[in-house]
Amino acid sequence: MAHGATKEFKVTWGMVIDLDKCTGCGACMTACQVENNIAPMVDASNKMRTLSWMLVFELSNKKSGAEAEVAYLPRPCMQCGNPACVPVCPVVATEKNEEGGIVSQIYPRCIGCRYCMAACPYHARYFNWEDPIFPKGMEKALSPSTSARPRGVVEKCNFCHTRFMEAKDKARQEGGNPEGLADGAYMPACAEICPTGAISFGDVKNKEHKVFDLAQGKDAFRLLEKLGLNPQVYYVSKREWVRKLGDNYAATGKPGAAKKHS
Amino acid sequence: MGLDRRGFVKIVVGGVAGTLFTPVIWKSLDDVSIWSQNWPWIPRLNKGEVKSKAALSKLCPAGCAVKVKTVGGLPFAVVGNTANPLSKGGVCPVCAAGAQLMYSPARVKSPMKKVGEGKFEAIKWEDAEALLVEKLTALKGQNGKIAAINGDETGSAGEVLSGLLAGLGNSGCYMMPGEKFVAEKGVKLMGGSGQPGFDIAGSDLVLMIGADALDSWGTTVANQKAFAATRPTGGVATAKFVYAGPVLNHTAAVSDKFLPVPPTATAAFALGLANLLINAGAVCSAPDFAEYKALAAKYTAEEVEKATGLKAESMKELAALIKAAKAPLVIAGASFGQGAGALDFVAGASLNVLLGRVGGGMTLLPAAPKAVAGAGASDKDAGSFLADVSTGKAAPGVLLVYEANPAYALPQAGDMAKALGNIAFKVSFSTYMDETASLCDLILPAPHPFERYDDNLNPYGVAKPTYLAGKPVVQKPVADCKDPVDVLLGAAAKLGLSLGFDTYADVIKAKAKALGADFDALVAGGIWTGEAKGGSLNLGASALAKVAMPKADDKTLALAPMSNQAYGSATLATPPANLLAVRDTELSGKDLFVQMNAATAKKVGVAEGARVKLSAGKGELKARVHLNEGVAPGTVAVLLGFGRSAWDEFTKGKGDNVYKILTVSDEAGTGLKVWAGSTVTVAKV
Repeated sequence: MAHGATKEFKVTWGMVIDLDKCTGCGACMTACQVENNIAPMVDASNKMRTLSWMLVFELSNKKSGAEAEVAYLPRPCMQCGNPACVPVCPVVATEKNEEGGIVSQIYPRCIGCRYCMAACPYHARYFNWEDPIFPKGMEKALSPSTSARPRGVVEKCNFCHTRFMEAKDKARQEGGNPEGLADGAYMPACAEICPTGAISFGDVKNKEHKVFDLAQGKDAFRLLEKLGLNPQVYYVSKREWVRKLGDNYAATGKPGAAKKHS
Repeated sequence: MGLDRRGFVKIVVGGVAGTLFTPVIWKSLDDVSIWSQNWPWIPRLNKGEVKSKAALSKLCPAGCAVKVKTVGGLPFAVVGNTANPLSKGGVCPVCAAGAQLMYSPARVKSPMKKVGEGKFEAIKWEDAEALLVEKLTALKGQNGKIAAINGDETGSAGEVLSGLLAGLGNSGCYMMPGEKFVAEKGVKLMGGSGQPGFDIAGSDLVLMIGADALDSWGTTVANQKAFAATRPTGGVATAKFVYAGPVLNHTAAVSDKFLPVPPTATAAFALGLANLLINAGAVCSAPDFAEYKALAAKYTAEEVEKATGLKAESMKELAALIKAAKAPLVIAGASFGQGAGALDFVAGASLNVLLGRVGGGMTLLPAAPKAVAGAGASDKDAGSFLADVSTGKAAPGVLLVYEANPAYALPQAGDMAKALGNIAFKVSFSTYMDETASLCDLILPAPHPFERYDDNLNPYGVAKPTYLAGKPVVQKPVADCKDPVDVLLGAAAKLGLSLGFDTYADVIKAKAKALGADFDALVAGGIWTGEAKGGSLNLGASALAKVAMPKADDKTLALAPMSNQAYGSATLATPPANLLAVRDTELSGKDLFVQMNAATAKKVGVAEGARVKLSAGKGELKARVHLNEGVAPGTVAVLLGFGRSAWDEFTKGKGDNVYKILTVSDEAGTGLKVWAGSTVTVAKV
């Protein structure tokens, strides 16, 4: 895929995350780990070594007292329309070429160079520093959905791709159209478990899917939109300070504005 | 014919081209890349049919109605049960890790007998049960010699425990602290009876005073669902949520308004609001309204501001919001689900009376029928009991501990653990090797929730009588365990007592029948609900007269323990899968971070990252400081769930235990032990 081009798909799976409904409970992170067989780490406070395909960030408006506000921002892989990670991979271990627009990660091809990690502005990619060793017996609770990855490869969220394949299989078995899944027929683990329903999921190009309208709502935004990576994950917040934090590259989004990294 | 130069070049070029066109090299490279990642220690996935079975997961305090996904019969994931009206498809972060917790390294794998300090040996079930019967037989009929501590306030197991003790001539069945216990006392002080319920879904303004309703108070998932229903994504919110408490926690994060109120000032804040509402014209027909009005008049917004630092203007804005609401609801509780006084509850609940919302928003549940004849009321608290044990006022010879962890999760936990040492024979019925089990003489492993029958009656917070039940998801437990109730019923039979049942499943069936519920439908993921009873409450004015305005103290800070459901509970250390969710501003390596705002830190003379020691009573807690502007002034917030001394490598020795520095005091007028308003001194180390 040529650098700088957004590849168009008929079906574009996307998420719309309502930050005003996310309590930061972490159920999505747990469900993600369970679904994707991420081995627990003894010292998970070393965030340079953890694997968080889904990570809930805490945002603050930096005010105090009754003025203080926080918001929680769940961050899966953005499945960018024009991903920064794909063109830098020297071994084509990550691609965006399947209908649905999910950025793949092909572990057997990955040589662990981590160029993709450096390229991803969302820090959505993780390097396996350790082999996936589960406490004795816990491997019996492995999910059948995702193979365990060895150390030395990069991994990331793939919108629970096995669930996508299963949804298509089910549609075929039931005589439906696997290329036109109904709203809710395919749902990643995080969206399914969220107790407040903060995560909506569907085809952002399909008018019959709830996310079609949600992604175009007036309070919808994407992270670092100015970078032009065209993420397929949208956020919604009525709080202006939260929306502003969504694009911290330029303070106002207007030409000539002061650039502000944080 | 010799090989000329042209021929040689042809062969080389032909060879190179041939190699590129043959798939051998590419196939080999592909194989190498696959096989170089295919080591025997990389776990393989389980094969088999994927099924989904309904279960009752009581890993979290409220219990989640879930579905457990199995592959080839082995549980691997937990998803919501959309058909269950309580959980409505939601799952809390602890139950989400339920399948993996079946294989927790901390599981007790077989019955264990203590053979020395911290040393246990595995014994057979028949020997373990014989030992239990022998110890009970020796003390049978001597009141006060056999006691039990129960940490499960919703299960019928408590009835069996209580019935067994009664049969043995003992009445010492004690509950671990929770909100239900205090709330029922509060309702009594308001001239009523029964467990209060709260209809969040039917309210258009929910004021939570202390109660962390969207993370760890009451039926959290049901509360979250009720909250979510009022907030359609991209649409207009149909209800307002306000959180008034010591920390900008998960509930406050999504609330429309957050008011920082120190945990020492919960009741004063509620009375301040009452005063503003009465001034704005609120009246009610409760007989003690005049007394209440006069009492509330002392709590002007300005006085409350002086005592708490909360701006009078903020309270006035909140009073206006409540006045404008059609169906407001006030929920008062401790920010960490225990230790608040009945007066804190009454002060909050009195606002519901004042606003005419008793019967609508706040309900009263009728007394539930008992399955076990002879089971007593569960209204004695374990903290007071162990305090009596430490002073010698109580001297039991046998203690049965069911689903409770008093050595870790009672205030002044260090003293409580020592008090346990005064009891000659302690039996723990626990799934995991927790702090209390590791101090016991006999450990009888209990099955994981997916391996047992269990039930859940009226989890605190539900607006209507509610009953859930669950049956095992797997054929055979992972460990050599037995249902504690089956063990107790077996012991009762050997002691010549008949409680009327042989198994826990029978007890639950009887309970379902007594309620008029269908057992089979319940264990298939269903629910039984009844109707709240009628009745009115007064404003509790005579009890509230004892509330005192908190006084600012230069030497100490208010202690606000903070609960985060994902990090576990009193009876469950942080599940390994949830450690990822713990932020590095909360725990770094083995260092726990306590949180305070910049002004408080300045007052105490500490900065971000500073090492501090928090002391209260005989307890000390070591930690580092993290500045958080969401903490109320003069308050230090400490996360619950860390500082484990048992369990496994994932949790043991990480951080420190806030229960150690909670101090108990007697609540004026009610005689209740309270610790939500604990204060601590903070010193740099």
